[in-house]
Amino acid sequence: MKTLTIGKESWRNLTTNYSHWLTFMLLMIVAIIVSPSFLSWNNITNQFVQGAVVGICAMGMSLIISAGMIDLSVGSSVALISALGVSVINDQHSLLLGFVFCLVAGVLVGLINGLLVTKGRIAPFIVTLATMSAWRSVINQLGQGGPFTVDKTMYASFRNIAAGRFLGIPHLMVFFIVVSIITGILMSKTKFGTYVYAIGSNQQAARLSGINVNRVKTLIFTYAGTLYGLAAFLLASRLTSIQAASAGSGYEMDAIAAVAIGGTSMDGGRGKIVGTFLGVLMLRIINTVLIMANVPPFLNGLVTGVIIIMAVLAQSRRKGK
Amino acid sequence: MILEMKNISKSFGPVRALKDVSFDVQGGEIHGLLGENGAGKTTLMNVLAGTFPQDLGKILINGKEVFGMTPRKSNALKIRFIHQELSLCNDLKVYQNMFLGEEYNKSWRIDKRKEIDRAQEVLDSMNTGIDAALIVSDLDTAQKQLVEIARALLFESELIIMDEPTTALNSQEIEKLFSIMTALKKRGVSFIYISHKIPELFSICDRYTVLRDGAFIQTGFFRDINEHQATELLIGKRFVEARLREGRPSPVQEEIVLKASDICGLTFRNISFSLHKGEIVVFTGLQGSGTDELATSLFGATKLESGTVENRMGILDMRDIRHVMQSGIGMIPRNRKERGILPDLSIRNNNSMAFFVAKHSKLFISRKEEIQRFERSKERMEIKVSSDLDPITSLSGGNQQKVILSRWLELDSDIYVMDNPTQGIDVGAKFAIYKLVVELAEQGKSILFFTSEYPEIQQLADRCFVLYKGEVSAELSRGEFSEEMIMAYSTGTQREMQK
Repeated sequence: MKTLTIGKESWRNLTTNYSHWLTFMLLMIVAIIVSPSFLSWNNITNQFVQGAVVGICAMGMSLIISAGMIDLSVGSSVALISALGVSVINDQHSLLLGFVFCLVAGVLVGLINGLLVTKGRIAPFIVTLATMSAWRSVINQLGQGGPFTVDKTMYASFRNIAAGRFLGIPHLMVFFIVVSIITGILMSKTKFGTYVYAIGSNQQAARLSGINVNRVKTLIFTYAGTLYGLAAFLLASRLTSIQAASAGSGYEMDAIAAVAIGGTSMDGGRGKIVGTFLGVLMLRIINTVLIMANVPPFLNGLVTGVIIIMAVLAQSRRKGK
Repeated sequence: MILEMKNISKSFGPVRALKDVSFDVQGGEIHGLLGENGAGKTTLMNVLAGTFPQDLGKILINGKEVFGMTPRKSNALKIRFIHQELSLCNDLKVYQNMFLGEEYNKSWRIDKRKEIDRAQEVLDSMNTGIDAALIVSDLDTAQKQLVEIARALLFESELIIMDEPTTALNSQEIEKLFSIMTALKKRGVSFIYISHKIPELFSICDRYTVLRDGAFIQTGFFRDINEHQATELLIGKRFVEARLREGRPSPVQEEIVLKASDICGLTFRNISFSLHKGEIVVFTGLQGSGTDELATSLFGATKLESGTVENRMGILDMRDIRHVMQSGIGMIPRNRKERGILPDLSIRNNNSMAFFVAKHSKLFISRKEEIQRFERSKERMEIKVSSDLDPITSLSGGNQQKVILSRWLELDSDIYVMDNPTQGIDVGAKFAIYKLVVELAEQGKSILFFTSEYPEIQQLADRCFVLYKGEVSAELSRGEFSEEMIMAYSTGTQREMQK
């Protein structure tokens, strides 16, 4: 009797703490069954390349959600920064300047969200809903509906950033993994990470422990914004032409989905960066499997939607027990 | 109505809140339910009101068993629970609150006129002088309490549960409440009356049932016992006789470590005091007397309107909690669940949090250091835990509070503001905390202790400040104060008598 209860307990522990790994394995098995070539190096790197830009955004989103907030402005922010980034590169003929510009613009975009949330005392949902709409409108106006395209002179060298490989590994994959590792260390090994979870867990208690809640929240948005800037730079390099109306659209959806599937609590307080990392890959795998299984592409969103609901349901059931 | 609850047990995770408790109430009886915070009274009443189901045991009403109690079912059985923390919606009007969930309807819409009239009728029958059409947020705490009671009377309930109904009332208001209760009792209404105030229980209740640490202790008639026996039943003989500070030299020293001059907040005015090294100063007062805000203000968590607080480093910037912490002030907040614990975080991180904020200066957290930190805390505070990586919510209330205390002891502050640190924990843990407070004072720390429980004042205080309506109504030294005196000063009756 006793061993049985211990067995149950540790099983529950396993499914609670490593549920994202279990889901990931399950999806991998499905993918391999549907397409035996799924495990080829070519396909694996391809999955990473496809997921990298959204994945980098999802790392920022992970922090925001862990602190009990939300950011809907990801897609518009990325579109705005990458469009402006392309203009800077065309104008200055310098990739370095373009890169620095994107990061600085990202910091500013994040800072605006963060200050509106903390100093303006507006709910993150509302702030980022507003900035989402605002940034999209700005880029549409600047581009007059048309695309921002990289000039011929810069095309080859700029494109190489996203398309190139390092020791056989695509640059995009390297960027995504490095950002994930840095974010992972930030969240698990530093005070800052602990503060983020503390705020998401119980803001009042966090404040009474002396944590400067507003400062940490602003920093979270700023860190996320910086990552959006990096993602925007890579997106511009990958596409070399940014469509004002459609670039980055749906990124908020994918980033939130990756975080949710990765097991981060939507109420904040609990979550792991490795979960988000796997969440990004899982979204890619689902996508690929659907294509390989000849599911009409229009139904893609439906499947992703169902999976998000299932992930969050699994969480709330765990919490209830 | 005859209510019987038989062999009720209820656990929350690892915490056994009720252990095999039996309890009964007869028709037209006022039954006093006694027990310390965390003894299980509120849990038992929540089971009765259907807030959550019991794990084991049954509820019988007029001899018939009720299965699967829900709040709706319990209302239909004419049971009303007046909660300790007021459960009125502040933005709705008085009558809307009274009818919430059970509105009078006129075809598809609410019959507003009829609701207002009926609500006013009940409020008037109680002589409250409250207008049923007022917005609840315009009422003071005592009036809100009366609205809650009026709500219970509205539907001619047969059993009314009152959880600490008098905390916000002054003595005249209490008398008024008691006369309403006596009148209803004559009409056959039963009451379950929960209170910490022993004299009140003796004056209004017929029978008593005592719970301690979730277990049934004794039941009987109040006329068969005296107040001293009641206290013994309540907290256990061992603790009644414990006198922590007797026979020990007072550790109070000359040196002044904190000086507050004319500080004002939204709910308190012109408070000045000096705190000496090694001194325990207790602040007490009823709900709404300003003690809550004073406690948070002294830690920089609520803005001071005016006045200064200084220590040996000079005048402190009270707008920055971190600065206050680094100036040597630590604070154990009231209401552990809302203000103390970080529920999703591990015990270890909960324990380290204040240190991280005030003193940790390295880039990375060292796992080894944090484990050592927790081991130290565990030993000093005798925290019972299986793994320090478990979430803090896996601990019992007392052990959670010990973690919160050690979070602050890790800072090694000179001054500790303790805001009702023994709320909702069992007797054993309470005494562990009293002992710790006395030891801290003996080590030369100074304590500002906020509490509303007289036994704590008596156990701990070198000096006691009583607040009434935001002002200090009395400053009493050890040896000067008694429960009656503090009650009189905190309800303002002393002042009225002097007039």
